[in-house]
Amino acid sequence: MSRAKGYLPAWLYLACVVLVTGLGIAGAMALRPAFANSVKEFFGLQAAPVAAPSSFYLTRVAPLFEAHCASCHGERRQKAALRLDSVAFALRGGRHGAVIQPGDVKNSELMHRITLPPSDDRAMPPEGKTPLSPDDVTVIRLWIAGGASPAMLATAIKGAPRLVREVAIPTLDAEAARRQRQVLAPDVERLSRRYPGLLTYESRNSAGLELNAALSGHAFGDEDLKAFTPLFSRLVRLDLSNTAVTDASARLLAAMPSLRSVRLTNSKAGDDVIAALASLKSLKSLTVTGSKISQQALSQLRSHGVVIYGDGDAR
Amino acid sequence: MAMSDMHSPFVERCKLEADNRRQFLSWGMGGLGAFFLNAAMAAPAPKPGASALQIKRDPSTPLTPLPPPFAPKARRVIYLHMGGSPSQLDLFDYKPELIKYNGRDCPDALLKGKRFAFITGIPKLMGTLFPFHQTGKSGAWMSDRLPHLEKHIDDLCIIKSMRTDQFNHAPAQLLMQTGDARVGHASLGSWVSYGLGTQNQNLPGFIVMISSTSTVANAGKPLWGSGFLPSVYQGVQCRAAGEPVLYLDNPKGVSRAQRRQVLDAVDEINRDTYRQFGNPETVARIAQYEMAYRMQMEASDAMDISREPKQVLARYGAEPGKTSFANNCLVARRLAERGVRFIQLYHWGWDSHGTPVDQGVNVGLADNCRATDQATAALLADLKSSGLLEDTLVVWGGEFGRTPMQENRGGQEMKYIGRDHHPQAFSIWLAGGGIKGGMSHGATDDLGYEVVRDPVEVRDLHASMLYLLGFDYRSFSYPYQGLDQKLTGVKPARIVSDILA
Repeated sequence: MSRAKGYLPAWLYLACVVLVTGLGIAGAMALRPAFANSVKEFFGLQAAPVAAPSSFYLTRVAPLFEAHCASCHGERRQKAALRLDSVAFALRGGRHGAVIQPGDVKNSELMHRITLPPSDDRAMPPEGKTPLSPDDVTVIRLWIAGGASPAMLATAIKGAPRLVREVAIPTLDAEAARRQRQVLAPDVERLSRRYPGLLTYESRNSAGLELNAALSGHAFGDEDLKAFTPLFSRLVRLDLSNTAVTDASARLLAAMPSLRSVRLTNSKAGDDVIAALASLKSLKSLTVTGSKISQQALSQLRSHGVVIYGDGDAR
Repeated sequence: MAMSDMHSPFVERCKLEADNRRQFLSWGMGGLGAFFLNAAMAAPAPKPGASALQIKRDPSTPLTPLPPPFAPKARRVIYLHMGGSPSQLDLFDYKPELIKYNGRDCPDALLKGKRFAFITGIPKLMGTLFPFHQTGKSGAWMSDRLPHLEKHIDDLCIIKSMRTDQFNHAPAQLLMQTGDARVGHASLGSWVSYGLGTQNQNLPGFIVMISSTSTVANAGKPLWGSGFLPSVYQGVQCRAAGEPVLYLDNPKGVSRAQRRQVLDAVDEINRDTYRQFGNPETVARIAQYEMAYRMQMEASDAMDISREPKQVLARYGAEPGKTSFANNCLVARRLAERGVRFIQLYHWGWDSHGTPVDQGVNVGLADNCRATDQATAALLADLKSSGLLEDTLVVWGGEFGRTPMQENRGGQEMKYIGRDHHPQAFSIWLAGGGIKGGMSHGATDDLGYEVVRDPVEVRDLHASMLYLLGFDYRSFSYPYQGLDQKLTGVKPARIVSDILA
């Protein structure tokens, strides 16, 4: 008995500590919804929001946060304990509470900060970082006004500035091109030596060939074109402008299935050549400026969807 | 005895005398070369994939045509640089709101923290001096100053949201032409020449022509210099009147055969020098002499517009024997037909400050429109009818824009009407190879002061041009001073996808 005199039981102490901590957490949760969310998530009472694919957030907002904010509010640095590298973090807020009030643009601290004049010390992104464009700000505003939803589809939010399409630059596979070129490489080399400068590959990524006989002018005739016979299947562009090539070569042109573009400016070619070209399925454009070619011959090509430049009836 | 002979003072002296200064230097250079070669060979192997993109060139044939990395949309470029910078607000960027506020004080918010070349104090807003109207299928707005160009409006892509960070002519021009505001970087044409070589071995791959014999562009020859690239890739300046290139013709009494003999002798000396010193610039020089020899025939023919029919000369407004933008446009077409990759025209005179009367927006701008409009349109028409426009990229533009405020140099009201330099927003147009015609890209605010939609930085324009020519701007580089130098510099650039066909 004397042992307990003047002291409260240990369980009461424990109860007090639990009570105070609980009150503290509850109070903080009541005052800070963001904190409440993280507590609920911690205890598994609420699932952390996950952005849905093709959501407005993922397609429009996340790339902006990533490009303009995440270097200070992301995985590596968390200034003001704020992270913007996922929708869950963004909605949770930072040291000073939530920065996004779903549906309430006016009271969203994030919105306030990104619309301050750049001269303001509290403007975000701070001076020296890539600023958000007016369009970017509009995108973020629309998202918050629409409820800052992680799931709402991009198509559900109207009036958003147009999404800029990124260009996919082809990747260079020189090895694949080399393999494709290998079979005819000896012919290419032989003819390049015989006709320096006239023959080039379309690109370093391709085995397609371009023959620019116009550089030789009148010196290039039907016999010369015939010399390129082994390469006919590979020719994608052929320029016979100002050359001496005539209708006698029509048969040769019919044997160039990959041709996409043919130039016959001031050439001696006539209707027979044009008729031969009509059998080529890949032909896209033809130039006949200054060459004697009938409208009838051209109209057939035109009906195949070939773009024709030059005199003819195009004028 | 043999040993003692070799070490006799007499033999030593003979050997020392034979070692002249030049030989000493050449050994020294060889030693240094070997040292660097050693260091280069010890360097770690390049990243896989990187080597495939590197351009390998034999210094003795530096202009051999090379295919671009991927299939190009444009095979050649005609760049019409409008030196001094035309006023976008009086040609393409129609701002009815600005007209409403004509003559009012410019709001403080627009002036705060901004620097101008000449404007001080509070300038007055100034709307356009010329009537605007909508034209073409696209309904683009244009002023009445370019009636000939207007016929091609549906082939043009007007970028109204160009931005630069330079507000003085020379650095701004350098930025437009070399990707950097400082001297020493390779010009657009040099990059193209380096990457593609020249198709026509009798003509340079990169030719420059200037509208006037007296005024050249502010930044001068570095605008078409090769910078850190080998000098053989620099632009060759040609003249519309007289010999196309100075001293291209043989002097009186010297025949072509004699010229050949001289060249053979000089080449031999140069080859000897190369064997001794191994400097690739020596081989480049041999190649340049040979090119000049071949050019004697071809260049004179290409530049001779007197061979053109009368009606063609009339359409351009060209007069053989004169130096003019019109003549240069006609020559540009002839060069494009002959396989020249990059044709750069400079036309100075758009610097409409309003200081002298011929630099007023009301007079000077109108004069320059008249001097260039007809020939630009004729060039586009010819390229179109000959099918060349399909794979020729035409670019028109200055180095920055002009202010929506009237210039008030020294805070005073000025006698003639002018606009100051304005880097925040300007308009350029593109046409041809791979470009979507009949469209405008980007927009400025109601006063034409800042870009509010789809800004295009100079590096974005360059990245887009390289893309159209079949290059990836991120990997098209040249090692110099420890950096893989790129046309687009070190800041992130993007290809302007909206303007691509």
